[in-house]
Amino acid sequence: MSTETVSGPVRPAAATGTRSMGREALILLVFSAIVLSMPFWLPLLGGYEGLATKIMVWAIFAVGFDILLGFTGLLSFGHAAFFGGAAYVTGYVFRDHTSEIIVAFIASQLGVLVLAAAIGFLSLRRTGIYFSILTLAFAEMMFAAALAIFAPFTGGYDGLTMRTTPTLFGMPMQGLYVFYMGAIMLIFGFAVARMIKNSAFGLMLRSIKENPMRLQYTGVNVWAYKMAAFMISAHFAGVAGFLMVVYEPYVATKFLHWSTSGEVVIMSVIGGVGTLFGPIIGAGFLMYFENVVQAAIGEQWKLVLGLVFVLVVIFLPGGFVQLGAMIWRATGHKVRERRHNVPDMEPDTQRERNLG
Amino acid sequence: MDPNALFLQLLTGLQLGAIYALIALGLTLIFGTLGFVNFAHGALYVIAIYAAVTVAANTNFLLAIILVPALLFAIGVAFERGLIRHFYTRPHTDQILITFGLAIVVEELMKWIFGANNIPFTLPEWGSGLMVFYSDWSAVPAVPVFQEAPSLWVPFIEGFVTYQFWRVVLIAVSLVTVAGLFALLQFTRFGLVVRAGMRDPEMLRFLGINIAQKFAIVVGLGAAIAGIAGVFGGPITQVTPGVGMALLVPSFLVVVIGGMGSLSGALIAAILIGMALSFSAEIANLQQIVVYLIAVVVLLVRPRGLFGKKGVFE
Repeated sequence: MSTETVSGPVRPAAATGTRSMGREALILLVFSAIVLSMPFWLPLLGGYEGLATKIMVWAIFAVGFDILLGFTGLLSFGHAAFFGGAAYVTGYVFRDHTSEIIVAFIASQLGVLVLAAAIGFLSLRRTGIYFSILTLAFAEMMFAAALAIFAPFTGGYDGLTMRTTPTLFGMPMQGLYVFYMGAIMLIFGFAVARMIKNSAFGLMLRSIKENPMRLQYTGVNVWAYKMAAFMISAHFAGVAGFLMVVYEPYVATKFLHWSTSGEVVIMSVIGGVGTLFGPIIGAGFLMYFENVVQAAIGEQWKLVLGLVFVLVVIFLPGGFVQLGAMIWRATGHKVRERRHNVPDMEPDTQRERNLG
Repeated sequence: MDPNALFLQLLTGLQLGAIYALIALGLTLIFGTLGFVNFAHGALYVIAIYAAVTVAANTNFLLAIILVPALLFAIGVAFERGLIRHFYTRPHTDQILITFGLAIVVEELMKWIFGANNIPFTLPEWGSGLMVFYSDWSAVPAVPVFQEAPSLWVPFIEGFVTYQFWRVVLIAVSLVTVAGLFALLQFTRFGLVVRAGMRDPEMLRFLGINIAQKFAIVVGLGAAIAGIAGVFGGPITQVTPGVGMALLVPSFLVVVIGGMGSLSGALIAAILIGMALSFSAEIANLQQIVVYLIAVVVLLVRPRGLFGKKGVFE
């Protein structure tokens, strides 16, 4: 009997089994082709090889973030803690122990595991707005601690600098090698995220986003699901932080700063929350903006970015993906309806409705 | 502990708590009435300090004291009518995102106009210098610096101590502002409506009260308090575009520790945080994280904050 509740939601997906499998494979294939060929087409747009690697880093971060924000509806303002935390562990391993990236990778993921369990446990005691504030606060605590108590390990304001070149089984990882490692990680991460999206687990997360109370009443352990989503997204952030240090053997204190959390929020929202493609496009857009467009408009690029962000939040809650769908529809094509940013249905949502 | 040092640490704690209290009160006022988390509240503070610096440098500091809170009130009302209003029916996350975006825009705009570096905020002549606290006036040296400075008799301290007068002004202004706000909410019809609105906005609408209009004034009030904080706190904190966000995070924690939407909770939490910051200053490296440690402990013991009511925004 107990399996019935689990298998119930899966049935629609299972019914279209083979066809959706083929479609999934096609999506993944096209995605891989675009990502892997990036070093060839990005320079045509004025980018450079290193930028492609940076886009990989942030795209991994954003895909993981979408599992939390897009699927589960939890807006974390503290994912810099995992990005920066993993970056520091990686940098520490490179500087003091070994240049072998496998070791650094495992160490950084273990660090994120502990950190995400602690921050998740504390932050998920509350939901909605509280959750955003608490994640922000704990990440800022990490930032403050890195500059004060842990300064001997983190190098304080100077950050961690290392001279070694990271190696994979003794092979130095530089330039395009790092890009392809990042690209494979992104493709793998994207595939995992798609799998989660199409699974019973993913459906549960989306149900939690729509109405956590009803699920609670039906006996679902909402907290455990939220915690799982939080941990998964934290690990994506950790992988991104690890990759960032492999790409550029320097750990900046900025990695732990709230502005790093803010950046991933901005790219997810600009791209289109909950779509997985959107945050990746957003990551590409932000990195392109920060590195290429900045050269054209100078110091005010952040102001322009802020304005773009505000305009997107007001007029395009579905981000660039929504814009694409609108254009697609305007040119006479059919678009599957998608609900963007479904309210997180707190007990008090009804209350605010009444104010309007 | 040396009573003089203790007295000075208490004053420092009050002064630190005062700024947090002013910002947190605005936050919790807006949150309690509108259920709206204002990530742009730090940006309001930033606007206030730059407005104050500009007005004070070109005209007179007294003019800044009058103009800046009024300006911020207008900005607050415009902010609610023009923007926040359209977000009541949207999810919480969108509300946070829009104010977060605005905070970035304001910060970058200020950076563009005034530069990223600290602008010196010259104190008015009447506010600079020291203040003397004494228990025994004969102990105060007979030099003009001490003899002509403002002074106050305080029991329990030995001889005399001095403290920056401006910081005392900040404490006093905060006390008056807080008292004024509480009086407004407790003893006026407007306050009654707002407090009722915090409990049950639907019922108020049935009673034929235009709460939307009242709530615009509430946001204006919250912004005006940030304005007061900016005029008096600006010379102490710093005048940089980044100071808003730096103050916002501890202020959020003050609101969370005090209990969301509880004004007295925010006030007590602000003083608690101020004191903790002041008394942990001597212990190496503890000061930077003490605020967060308190927040962790409070959340573990009382998840809804010290004075949070059951069922309110849980």
